[in-house]
Amino acid sequence: MRAEAASIIGAPVGIETHEQFSNPAQQKHAAELGMWAWLLTELLLFGGLFLIALVLRYQYPDSVHAAALHLKFWIGAANTAILICSSLTMSGAIMLSRLGGQRWMVRCMLATAALGSLFLVLKGYEWFADWQEHMTPFLPGPYALEGDAQSRLFVNLYFVTTALHGLHLTTGVAILLGLTWMAKQPDFLVKHQNRIEIYGLYWHFIDLIWIMAFAVLYVVGR
Amino acid sequence: MSPLDTSLMDPPNPSATLERPKDYLHESHTLRSWFFTTDHKRIAVMYLFAITVFFVIGAIAAGLVRLSLVVPNGEIFTSDTYNKLFTIHGVVMVWFFLIPSIPATFGNFLLPLMIGAKDLAFPRLNLLSWYIFCAGSLFAVFDIIIGGVDTGWTFYAPFSTTFSNTWVVPALIGVIIAGFSSILTGLNFVVTIHTMRAPGMTWFRMPIFVWTHYAVSLIFLLATPVITMALILLVLERSFNIGIFDPTLGGDPVLFEHLFWFYSHPAVYIMVLPGMGVISEIVPAFAQKKIFGYRFIAYASIALASLTFFVWGHHMFVNGESDTAALVFSVLSFAVAVPSAVKVYNWTATIYKGSIRLKTPMIYAMGYIGLFVIGGLTGLFLATLSINEHVHGTYFVVAHFHYIMVGGTVLAFLGGLHFWWPKFTGRMYPEGWGLVSAVFIFIGFNATFFPQFLLGYLGMPRRYHDYPPEFQILNVMSSVGALVLAAGYIFPMVYLVWSLWFGKRAPANPWDAKGLEWTTSSPPPTHNFITPPVVDFEPYDYPMETPGDAR
Repeated sequence: MRAEAASIIGAPVGIETHEQFSNPAQQKHAAELGMWAWLLTELLLFGGLFLIALVLRYQYPDSVHAAALHLKFWIGAANTAILICSSLTMSGAIMLSRLGGQRWMVRCMLATAALGSLFLVLKGYEWFADWQEHMTPFLPGPYALEGDAQSRLFVNLYFVTTALHGLHLTTGVAILLGLTWMAKQPDFLVKHQNRIEIYGLYWHFIDLIWIMAFAVLYVVGR
Repeated sequence: MSPLDTSLMDPPNPSATLERPKDYLHESHTLRSWFFTTDHKRIAVMYLFAITVFFVIGAIAAGLVRLSLVVPNGEIFTSDTYNKLFTIHGVVMVWFFLIPSIPATFGNFLLPLMIGAKDLAFPRLNLLSWYIFCAGSLFAVFDIIIGGVDTGWTFYAPFSTTFSNTWVVPALIGVIIAGFSSILTGLNFVVTIHTMRAPGMTWFRMPIFVWTHYAVSLIFLLATPVITMALILLVLERSFNIGIFDPTLGGDPVLFEHLFWFYSHPAVYIMVLPGMGVISEIVPAFAQKKIFGYRFIAYASIALASLTFFVWGHHMFVNGESDTAALVFSVLSFAVAVPSAVKVYNWTATIYKGSIRLKTPMIYAMGYIGLFVIGGLTGLFLATLSINEHVHGTYFVVAHFHYIMVGGTVLAFLGGLHFWWPKFTGRMYPEGWGLVSAVFIFIGFNATFFPQFLLGYLGMPRRYHDYPPEFQILNVMSSVGALVLAAGYIFPMVYLVWSLWFGKRAPANPWDAKGLEWTTSSPPPTHNFITPPVVDFEPYDYPMETPGDAR
């Protein structure tokens, strides 16, 4: 029993230094700073959409309210919970990678990918339900709030924001699966522990963006 | 002493070609070794090729615009063709030449050398940026070939979304993709400057060139994503009619203009700041004097990069902005003049009583300072609300930003190209031809754009090709100037290429300049330095001190 417990964690951990760096600490610092810089650009990318949401709410509060009532609040809330759980499993993977627990780290990563995919399935269902309710003003065909032109703007913005977030999440799941496949290789943690940390930052950030999007689109002024 | 004791004999002549490692150009010769390289120096050379192609395309379009404006009634091209020509000129020059010009070429090549690093922090990402840039530029070329776009480089809604029936979407996609290349370059630079500095290279030992590139990288990171989003919304507006910028649905075209200028005003500093960095290297080298007020120039770069985020509204004084907003933006725009002027004064003070050598790079640098002052001061005219009302959307604006973009950035680009040409290629350029072309460009530039100030003040609107006959003389002067300017551009393209084979071999430091990039061979070896440098000297350690230099 004890031997088994020891085998969960405790494998050697490290990073392989690339030739342009003089030591692993420098490489680690560079990689982390690089990911944070990238996340900053992501924040500003979504920032443009959040700004427009704010402008629309200010200009046409009633139309936005009417449109927002059609959003599936509970699906959005469930998705928020799912992503928060996925961040928890990702944190678990990061913790285990530091401790050298490769097998459970891989399992945590698979759980993260599964939760991310579950989010996408629910999101897809939500879009489908929107379409059935004629809440897709950018497509030809009837529109539920026909008389209210301004409401289209908010609904379209909702689709742009959630689609862009969905794109990030899809990319995220794809990269995560690739990373998981690499992480199963025997000497992964000895060479590339850093990658789990860096990827984890990205995953948490997509989660954070969703929380903001959920608040801005679904919750405010409901 | 035995005659066979070799250790006491004269050492054999060290063979220059065998003893030292091969330089980055001669490391390998296959196409593969270029297209899959992760060496920042080779990637910089590939960027230089790419942006030169775009410079030529943009310049040809500009030439045709000037040709059309020789006659007042717009007989030479149809209105549609003319609209496409100035749009191609603007889109190509701004997005595919000026923005990547100095950062992606000189920045890429010199940043690691100047801070004593082996490479950028993320060499493969750097190569990826080049491919992303090329992918974006293919869309732009494709757009031009299938018929062009007529929105102007600014893609203003609702014209770009509702009314234009040209190829707007491919051009937008090209610009969006190229934007990612800027973001990744900026990210690479920020991380490199933070983490890759050689031992002893403290922040205040970095050359000003590195400081300006740091400032520019922050703009790349913070501003580019906003325009990416705005342009994505334009694409969606055209494809799905989502209405966000469409007034018929209650959307707001001015919102697009806000988002556009939130990036595109800082983009002016993406184009200007690296040029300031280049000038800050050339001036001390050719005055052989320590740069005046090093810390002030460094801080001024960061100040410009910060202030520039708060002045975008000055592009929209006549677009229904409230009086309060206009006043605030006007005051903030005036504030930009302070750090800009700090730099100009510092360069001038560096030249003052220096031991000046008037080589080609110095001629360009001095031209830059003069033209930048004219461009900057006319910027203050434009920031003044009442004058802006009068000259908004006229040739005055065109002349103003060309003094900054061409008189500033392009002159700095050419000055830097000559200054570092020996370092890039290991060959000297022909000095005489260099001087001739610098003079041609200075005269041609002023002849082209000074009349445009007058035209604008007299009321000729920009983007019109059918103008009243009384403007013809000034327009003809401008077009003749463009010919001189074109000659000035063609000379370096010829003699620089010639010098690759026939130029004199360059020593490691042909200008007696200071800075780590001059301590390694010309051209540098693949990993830049044979022994990793340790910095124990102050920046711009030239023999002449500037009295009263604040440090």
